[in-house]
Amino acid sequence: MDKSLHLDTVIKTHQITKEKNLLDKHIQKKNEVKEALENEYGGNVYAPFNSGSYAKNTAINTKFDFDLVSPFKRNAFGANGTLKEMYEAVYDFLYNKYKNDAEVRKQKVSIGLEFYADSDSAKIKIDVVPGRELNQDQYKDDENLNLYVYYKYGNIAADSERIKTNVQSQISNIKDRADKEKDSIRKIIRLLKIWKNTKYNYPTKSFFLELITIKAFDNITITGNLWNKLKAVMEYIKDNVTNDGFTLKDPGNSSNDLSDTLTDSEKQQLADDMKNMLDRIEENDENIKTYFPENPKFKEEDKSKNRYNTNGGMPVPPPKLNFG
Amino acid sequence: MILRIEKIGLSIEADDELLNSLVEKGKSHYPNEFGGFLVGYYADDNKHLHITDTILPKSFKTSIYNFERSTKGIEKKLGTFYKEIPRKFYVGEWHTHPDNSPIPSLTDISAINAIINNKNACLANPVLLIIGNSKTKVDFGFYVWFENKLYRYE
Ligand SMILES: [Zn+2]
Repeated sequence: MDKSLHLDTVIKTHQITKEKNLLDKHIQKKNEVKEALENEYGGNVYAPFNSGSYAKNTAINTKFDFDLVSPFKRNAFGANGTLKEMYEAVYDFLYNKYKNDAEVRKQKVSIGLEFYADSDSAKIKIDVVPGRELNQDQYKDDENLNLYVYYKYGNIAADSERIKTNVQSQISNIKDRADKEKDSIRKIIRLLKIWKNTKYNYPTKSFFLELITIKAFDNITITGNLWNKLKAVMEYIKDNVTNDGFTLKDPGNSSNDLSDTLTDSEKQQLADDMKNMLDRIEENDENIKTYFPENPKFKEEDKSKNRYNTNGGMPVPPPKLNFG
Repeated sequence: MILRIEKIGLSIEADDELLNSLVEKGKSHYPNEFGGFLVGYYADDNKHLHITDTILPKSFKTSIYNFERSTKGIEKKLGTFYKEIPRKFYVGEWHTHPDNSPIPSLTDISAINAIINNKNACLANPVLLIIGNSKTKVDFGFYVWFENKLYRYE
């Protein structure tokens, strides 16, 4: 089989535009939550913005990743208010507002809103990330925010007061690279997310996969067809992620090392998973379909619509043919 | 030239330079038939086929009414095209009809069936190009196999 052809189909069946309806619902719900926060906090909050994969153009249609960053003013929760107080206050507000419509959950640095399925059985999930500017009115100038870590996040302890970062530059950094190198970086990021999504609650976050993919492209020569590229990135992860001194610089704050968002054993698990996949695919090409599956919902549609092109690997003409 | 058939949703493009060279090759075997393999790639979400090259058979038998080609010795060339960007590969066959119209014969149709039923050919919609050539004129017939029928591009 042609592994690159399969991977291309995998990406096609995961195109976010194929789920237009669900996408529109996410956007609408995100805008509702944004308005609710603005109404509640008025002059104490800057415009909340979407920072998930949809904003970075790396989304897949089986998981939308809508993260709504809510940038609060320094004194929004009192001049001596703590980040913990900010986090708790936003949680309380969201809980009271949405408790009848959604599961409201405290997560690592965000508050998860998982809306109960509607009549179309569409499930919408929005994560609200409360952040606070460093000094009163400083956000306009530097866009820096402190985030609160609610519970243990890799090597970052729970209740550690802050992760200081610039979310806007995180987004634009990844979006820029993914847009410019859409046949390589963007495709590989999407494939790794599709793989991650085959697992329940995998500790490695999408953001981590985005950064490590970009780092691989910056550090090693990656060429060839889509499978060769994916393989090279997987090998890079396998060979490097558990090394002492391996770092993933946060594009929003170079003194943050995002490799800290995984514990050592979680990194080991990631390296082992890469090795295992590479070995199994080496043994038998067909195994690629287990790790990188098509989205079955859109599989048939694609086939019946358009069957042109080869339907396997390199076409080889029949050995002997007769024409009249 | 670029040809289109709305019904089957595939346009075909072949460079004049390539077509001229096929006509020349055909002429050199006139009044016998001649032909070869068509190479190209699909673009624009597979809605467009660009035929870019031909591979000529190294081993063939020919007469006024018949042309039989074999794939002996062309494997390497197929591999080289496949490594190009964009990936190019075997998309169909061409042959001449000396002093005749470019209408497929029954033998031609069974050749097409042999392609679609051949697992290694990996082609559900092979292209057939027939060049009707005489001393004074040349006529092209482009066909694509689609849902059990040959469609002609006009
Ligand atoms: Zn014929």
